Amino acid sequence: MNFSKSIFKFVIIFILTLSFSNISNSVEKNYYKDLITDWSRIFPDSNRNAAGPKFFKYIIDKDINYDDFIEYNKLYCAVSGSLIDPNSEPDFLFVNERETKKKICGDYYKCCIPCSCDIMKYSEVEKMKHKFEDGFKEFFVFTIKNPCGKKDFPDRVNKNYFCNGDKINDKQVYELNGRIVIGLLHNGKICTKDEMDFVKSHQVTGRFCELRNNTPIENLNAGMGDIFIKLAR
Amino acid sequence: MKIKMINYLKKLIVLFFLLIPNNLSADFFEDITSQIVENPKRLSYGVSVTDVNQDGNFDFIVTGFGYLNLALSYENGKLVNIVNQKKFSDEFRRTIGVAACDIDRDGYEEIYFLNTDTYSGTKKYSDRLIDLEKGKFIDLFEIEKNQKDLNLTAGRSVVCVDRKGDGNYGVYVANYGGPTRYYEYNDDILVDKSVQLNLAKVTGGRAVVAGHIISDKIDVFAANERGANFLYKNDKGKFLDVAYEYRVQDVLQNGRGTALSDIYYRGRLDILNGNWGGFHRAYVLKNDIFEDIAKPPFDEPSRIRTVISADLDNDGYDEVFLNNIGEPNKLFKILENGLIKQIPLDVGLEPDGYGTGAAVADIDNDGVLELLVSHGESWDQPLSLYRAKVDPDNKYLRIKPLNQYGAPARGATVTLISNLRKHSKTIDSGSGYLCQMEPVAHYGIRKNEKDIKIQIKWTNGKTKTISVKELNQTIILNQ
Repeated sequence: MNFSKSIFKFVIIFILTLSFSNISNSVEKNYYKDLITDWSRIFPDSNRNAAGPKFFKYIIDKDINYDDFIEYNKLYCAVSGSLIDPNSEPDFLFVNERETKKKICGDYYKCCIPCSCDIMKYSEVEKMKHKFEDGFKEFFVFTIKNPCGKKDFPDRVNKNYFCNGDKINDKQVYELNGRIVIGLLHNGKICTKDEMDFVKSHQVTGRFCELRNNTPIENLNAGMGDIFIKLAR
Repeated sequence: MKIKMINYLKKLIVLFFLLIPNNLSADFFEDITSQIVENPKRLSYGVSVTDVNQDGNFDFIVTGFGYLNLALSYENGKLVNIVNQKKFSDEFRRTIGVAACDIDRDGYEEIYFLNTDTYSGTKKYSDRLIDLEKGKFIDLFEIEKNQKDLNLTAGRSVVCVDRKGDGNYGVYVANYGGPTRYYEYNDDILVDKSVQLNLAKVTGGRAVVAGHIISDKIDVFAANERGANFLYKNDKGKFLDVAYEYRVQDVLQNGRGTALSDIYYRGRLDILNGNWGGFHRAYVLKNDIFEDIAKPPFDEPSRIRTVISADLDNDGYDEVFLNNIGEPNKLFKILENGLIKQIPLDVGLEPDGYGTGAAVADIDNDGVLELLVSHGESWDQPLSLYRAKVDPDNKYLRIKPLNQYGAPARGATVTLISNLRKHSKTIDSGSGYLCQMEPVAHYGIRKNEKDIKIQIKWTNGKTKTISVKELNQTIILNQ
């Protein structure tokens, strides 16, 4: 009898699925569409150069659960501020934790290869705690030091997004311990030796980044990352 | 045990018949393309509906890109091209956009042909504004006094705008890689007023619609490419771009087919907006902000061209036809509460169709809309003509408003008010993408619908309401 009930339930679910699959009232979330739709609100002046922090602030200010938070944070580049295609694969890399200087490994969703190098060299990660719809969660975020006092603040970046005078503009970006949060390190944790070796020997995070990160900035001609470096160095 | 099993089976069968028919419906359309006399492969673009030969009946205008512009008239059960005059047919100027309205206030509509011989920026040949005088088609832009402000920028769509609500129509020209133009008669001379009306922005203009969108006068929504959309609020006949405030800029998407539609059946016009390879939008106004309520499968990216909202099967609910180029078309029905349900297509799917334009009109005056689809761009194909398979018990009501000059009151809003709905439709000024629908509000009547009234909001914002006693008729409302 229980078997019959199970079959009955299965068939009902199957039929309902079939029936409503062509109705446009699905509650399935489309995180990418949300960011595209709200892009003008995030960047009213259309300048998203190095504006990963704007995306992070926009996302963390939403009333969402932790899973939504994770998904949204896969869709922009913390370095350049550009959107990332859904289903993009992250780079596995490590970044120093600010306080302990321990290497923290995790996944970084990037828009270009040099961005992984730039984030490894010019950012540090910090653990952050935040209350979502489903409770408090802890995670690692990329941060850069306060750039607002820089005399050579890059002119292609909208300073008003980041700064209020020499202070961080916490209405526009998220401030953590006097630094600006630029994005999320996914699945962050202290690196094992094997993981460190993997990152160091990887063709991007290893060889390419070593080359890039030893090149004087004036010799770099790789677009948005260079703007980020000027902001974050 | 056996009885219980039988009961379960009975429940299953009931559920099956209740739910499965959603997916197993018969063909929505019948293909009546054979009604088109002489239908060779060609590169066509925009389609408009107006009374080309001033005989009191609407005709389809089909533009040709290096092919003849056609005026297809319904005669003896066939669609026949009735114009063979060079100024109209003109296969050399490569027409893509078309819209008709009464610009000279003589009660008859002139036809604006947007020609484009280049993708973007400066073009070689200007547009044509066709008028019929004593049986002869003339181009008003060829008259010397009208040549000061010719449009020599590549463009896409055109829309008619009665900006002051006085029946003095102008034409908004969505240019690509150059400033928008706005042509209007001023002291009997055609001039471009785009600068003084705050419309002369440079963008990748694609689609444009006009109607009662956010004010009681005629507003304009322009869906653009490589830049923000424009939403022009009518401010005493001039325009103010409020796209940012109303959240319809959609900067990262590339606008295409756009139509005004009462998505909630609540007595106001909202916006359906297709985006090329991007998310299609169903913008509904909530608290002075347009919220996109589109969900899959409606919003799924496609190679979209024309978007049409119309009640094709006379059931009282509007369909939305998405005409794609190089991939199958899609059809949806707007149900209550903004639910948009996909209707499976076989006829009309056109999996290999290179759709470039489409328009609806009750071209044979039988109370059911015909859908004409044009094709082209990179593959020459003949036209297609479809008609929904309509339940013979379904009734209809057609409202044809005429302005003070006796011309179609394009831009006016008609609202059907009954015990079941408050359903607004625009008298089409230009929509879809490159196209323009018939200037009639066509309603199918719902089951058990009664106490039907019709409210007309003219282009000046004034309203008038009438009661309707008889169905299956076309009511002409005079301003």
